Amino acid sequence: MNRAPSRRALVIAYTILIFAALFAFYPVWFAILASGRLGDRLYTLNFAGMFFPTEWSWENYRVMLTEKPLLQWIRNSLYVAVTTSVASVLISTSAAFAVSRFRFYGRELMLVFLLAIQTFPGVLALVAVAQILTALGLYRSHEGLILAYTIGTLVFSTWNMKGYFDTIPIDLEEAAMIDGCGPLDSFIRVALPLAMPAVAVTALFGFMAGWGDFIFASVLIPAPDSMKLAVPGLFSMANDQSVPWGYFAAGGMVIVLPTLIVFLFLQRFLVGGLTVGGVKG
Amino acid sequence: MIGWSGRRKAFTLLLFIGPTLLGVLLLNVFPIVLSIYTSFTNRNKFHPNPDCSIFLNTLLDPICWPVFRANAPRGLAEPYSMVTPLYQNYVDLVGKLVSPSALQAFGLILLCFVPLLVAGYADRFYDRQMTRRVGSSTLWLVGLGAALLLAFALNISEAYNTLMSTGDFFVVVFRTVLFVALRVPLSFGLGLVLALILNMQPLPGRTFFRVVLFLPWATSSLAILMALVWQFFFREKGVINQILQMIGFDGYAWLSDPATAFAAIVITDVWFSYPFFMIVILGALQSVPKDVYEAADVEGARWWTQLTKITLPLIRPAILPATVLTSITAFQMFGTAWAITQGGPTRGAGQPGATEFVIVYAYKQIFQSQNYGRATAFAVILFLFLFAATLYSLRYTRITKGAYE
Repeated sequence: MNRAPSRRALVIAYTILIFAALFAFYPVWFAILASGRLGDRLYTLNFAGMFFPTEWSWENYRVMLTEKPLLQWIRNSLYVAVTTSVASVLISTSAAFAVSRFRFYGRELMLVFLLAIQTFPGVLALVAVAQILTALGLYRSHEGLILAYTIGTLVFSTWNMKGYFDTIPIDLEEAAMIDGCGPLDSFIRVALPLAMPAVAVTALFGFMAGWGDFIFASVLIPAPDSMKLAVPGLFSMANDQSVPWGYFAAGGMVIVLPTLIVFLFLQRFLVGGLTVGGVKG
Repeated sequence: MIGWSGRRKAFTLLLFIGPTLLGVLLLNVFPIVLSIYTSFTNRNKFHPNPDCSIFLNTLLDPICWPVFRANAPRGLAEPYSMVTPLYQNYVDLVGKLVSPSALQAFGLILLCFVPLLVAGYADRFYDRQMTRRVGSSTLWLVGLGAALLLAFALNISEAYNTLMSTGDFFVVVFRTVLFVALRVPLSFGLGLVLALILNMQPLPGRTFFRVVLFLPWATSSLAILMALVWQFFFREKGVINQILQMIGFDGYAWLSDPATAFAAIVITDVWFSYPFFMIVILGALQSVPKDVYEAADVEGARWWTQLTKITLPLIRPAILPATVLTSITAFQMFGTAWAITQGGPTRGAGQPGATEFVIVYAYKQIFQSQNYGRATAFAVILFLFLFAATLYSLRYTRITKGAYE
């Protein structure tokens, strides 16, 4: 746990880590290998080719980066995903703070209600959502997508933040309030900095919601090419005659990169220790 | 809170929760209301459009709203209307489940869970006592034994067959529940173990392992591509069979056998979903103050005791919401099963396949037969079912409590 682990514990830990890492990485490695293979196939029946780059070529990457509007799609996706992430954090942390800290009539009802609506199958709501966004004049715009994604993440983010706020001792905020902080101040200056690990998780969740979605993005922004997001843009290259798996895999690897960068940036906040010593007794 | 109430309190509250409520009303609640309305109509490919002179249509169906009125589709087809009796779509779906024999079978199966419920209540009762006379594991073992005995005595397999013959609904829901019951604990367990390891101090290479283990979630934007990669692993000439042949075994058609196809979907979906748990638990672990462990060390508590008595109870409020919500999303899993098996393998035409989970079934209903009325009725039943399950889990886990209670 948190004290220095014994040598035996470390050996077990690294064994598990290495096996888990292989499990996590091999399918991705397989896709990377496919991205360097010419032709339209995702697979190879050559045994060595399943594990090592036997026939590597950069051709798929060259086509994706220079001949297709992949970079434009990624720019669009970045705009949508980052805005979704920020909006989701802003809206859900404040709601979660209120639900965790304030006592008001209908508080539990609201929490149950949020969870209840999440149980409705999303596929069936898609048509209605598209119609409402059209009514608001947000059809075929990135802002409409941002609205849909942000609202889509609200339930999870609010619940997750609420759970985290519940584990933070309330004494610090009470002390701040005695010193003259209002509810808004004690939220921004005391609770939020303490909740950074959960904020990082919420931000990551918002980013992934905007970055990885396929259905909403393809229904709400069917055209033109320059407006599309990365994932639907990538898959829109397929047509009835052929599915260019080599291009998909190469483009996919480029699309995954920003996610990893965002994660590398956010994972620094997955470090605790701020509350240590803040509350005694 | 100190010294604020009345109008000011209401205003502050609105500031905090207003945006969430507004957004949810707009894009979550309205679609649900519209779907419930549609489930009482005969909307399908022969009756696709609303009759805008009916008040309810004007109110609920966006096609009838003033902004769309001008370019509303006016086909030759008849407009849709309410069905008579109003619940006909529901009768078509689950009608056979309400027959006496099916109800009896259902009751018998429920009866088998009674010993487990009793064990649960007894366990909680003893928890509140000062001294425990009966251990928790003994109680549960006795409950489980009684449940199995009861299942044997009441001839449960026959009851199960009766229910399975009542139509697609029960079959599909049962398989989905089984899928959730396997997939969620597996990915939770894997995520928990990895998060605990990644939280050890010191751990050289921590960032490297964090990023590699996060990869499956990072590729969720390419879910279609990755699911097809996984499909290839399980194919007849795929990676698993090739490795098996290398070491002298025969290959196996994993995706043609209902049981192994089911297992393949579970494994793939665990691969997709465990990083999410890992990250959420990793975040939650940061709220555990370190001095608690120091105290436990002084008292001589072992690693396992520290895990079950300190770590898990302390992170419980932070990870329970994620677990409940993930169970809901697992119930609605679609992409993985669709990409790998398309719901198959089936025993015969027209029967749901071994991996045809609820949303796969609903998707086929909508897009292959365009039966919106039926599909929304299906969604509403699922909604009620999941809603009840969620309410129960909330009551059981008591996670709606605030920080003050």
